Amino acid sequence: MGRRRWVGAGLGAVLVGAVGVGLVVAPAGASAAPVLPPVSPEDLVSSVMTADQQPFAGEVEVDNALGLPAVPGVPQLANGTSSVRVWSGGEGRGRVALPSSDGERTLVSDGTTRWSYDSRDRTATRAPAGEGRPDNAEAGPDNQDPTTAATQAIATLRQSSTVAVDGTAEVAGRAAYQLVLTPLPTERTLLREVRVAVDAETRQPLQLTVLAQGSGEPALQVGFSEIAYGPQDASLFTFTPPPGTTVRDAPAGEGRPDRPEGEEQGQRVGEGWDTVIVGRAPQGQPEGQPEGQQPEGAPDLSTLGTPVSGPWGSGRVITTAVATVIVTDDGRIAAGAVPQQVLTEALAR
Amino acid sequence: MTTLETRTATRTTAPLGRLAAAEVRWVLRRPRTLVLLGLLALVPVAIGVGIALTGGPGDGDRDGPGLVAAVAGNGLVLPIAAMGLALTLLLPLTVATASADALAGEASHGTLRGLLLAPVGRTRLVVMKAVGVVTVAVLAVLLVAVVGVLTGLVVVGGPSGTMITLSGTTLGLGEALGRVLLVAAWTVVQLLAVAAVALAVSAFTEHPLVVLASVLGGLIVFGVLAAIPSLEWLQPLLLTSGWSAGTDALRDPLPLDGLVSSTGRALVYLVLGVGITVWRMRRRDG
Repeated sequence: MGRRRWVGAGLGAVLVGAVGVGLVVAPAGASAAPVLPPVSPEDLVSSVMTADQQPFAGEVEVDNALGLPAVPGVPQLANGTSSVRVWSGGEGRGRVALPSSDGERTLVSDGTTRWSYDSRDRTATRAPAGEGRPDNAEAGPDNQDPTTAATQAIATLRQSSTVAVDGTAEVAGRAAYQLVLTPLPTERTLLREVRVAVDAETRQPLQLTVLAQGSGEPALQVGFSEIAYGPQDASLFTFTPPPGTTVRDAPAGEGRPDRPEGEEQGQRVGEGWDTVIVGRAPQGQPEGQPEGQQPEGAPDLSTLGTPVSGPWGSGRVITTAVATVIVTDDGRIAAGAVPQQVLTEALAR
Repeated sequence: MTTLETRTATRTTAPLGRLAAAEVRWVLRRPRTLVLLGLLALVPVAIGVGIALTGGPGDGDRDGPGLVAAVAGNGLVLPIAAMGLALTLLLPLTVATASADALAGEASHGTLRGLLLAPVGRTRLVVMKAVGVVTVAVLAVLLVAVVGVLTGLVVVGGPSGTMITLSGTTLGLGEALGRVLLVAAWTVVQLLAVAAVALAVSAFTEHPLVVLASVLGGLIVFGVLAAIPSLEWLQPLLLTSGWSAGTDALRDPLPLDGLVSSTGRALVYLVLGVGITVWRMRRRDG
């Protein structure tokens, strides 16, 4: 009797522990691929391009194995998993919260003005919203909004790849088509495959997965872990700097100083997946950059990577899972999702 | 006559309320409980006075712990920051002390034997002892929260009784106090998980120091395990890995995921701890 009770108590404890751990620990189990009517890649891509921006609230999970050097203030860029909360009100209005352990960076766009608030130093930066790509305002420089990221990827990579709809998947509880872009065999690239999961109903990209050569694990996966469509509270998309905040204006015309500029000034060599961008290294970061990384920025490049040299000169090569960058000693930069050899050929031209 | 009969009938069990009151009075009369509670009340005062004297961030000092820096000029964040700081070690120390005294302390004095011999159910004994520990946990958290709110409003001050969230929005006094209350309730649940484990250890030993050492040592071991990258898969099992969720109460559309999952984890620890305590006490000899 006594022994039986012991066994009972022991079993009870184990049961509670197992159930509790199961409830707390286990992620929502992967369910079977939903059954959806077949769709051609062209239709899918065009429906994505023309789909209306619906208001939604969601949480984006960034699973990053790119091997980028850590940038202070943007923990989402470093290797590892992080989550970002996203609200979209349509019509260029949006809000993005990038939480860190003891602070938060908030980006708010009300359609006419973009605000970036950093709780660590309590500064708010104001910039007029860009006209052409309102969504880019919310996305930040790191393509964290899968909507923008996936749309851009499809538009630019369509010519040089096989595009296929490869089955279905369930992302954030939504049935989704899997659009797969594979580089043509002639392309010399580090990338193996780019997958975009598109919501079957709203035709909104839900998840972007980048797979590199020689690795089974995704080099980058950005996707909603939760999404709820529906009208959002309008107060989410307005921002009033709280008392005690330093308010700065971003210099006009340099709202997004890092990426577009580099692309516009840089010279493109090659096409498709093995495009190499050759440009000049930035001479110091523009002021008023909302990233809070002014002290770091450009000077870091001289200490990263390993030295290389060739007929084109000498410099340092920085290798990540999906891209290679060469910074030459005379200040040129060549970058692309390609092996090092393609970069050196581009530099030698 | 009938009244006499009912009286004798009710006398077979002591009223629960009176037992609980006696236990609480007994716990609160211990000098160490009072000293620990007093020290806890000093935590928000020390942070508040320190911040009021040195000024806020923006003076070129951005390296300090972010949450404490967020208190400057924003007094209502103080209770949440103070509870977060105290939860790392001081609050668990307080409830572990109470749990250690509850069973192991009585055993070491030899008084537990009397309680076990008395015609009182063992489960009821554990419940009464747990009431004392719960009281200490709730008192400790409330003390930090209330002193934190007062210090925040009086010493640190802020933009006229409002709270600036980490997301850059401003909350009114009522909502800010609601957030403080939410964090207080969440902190109590986390503490009760620690207390349940401490009671379980306490039920197995007659040395109160063993309880303190195992609880504090356990917290430190959890911290070390959480810091080893290759043991990342262990994170969801560790009670302490959810303890940063208190900060979530300072974000504006309030994210509940972290608070809910850490509460669930705490409840597992709580059920296991209480279960083991009851099981052990039902067959313990003096």
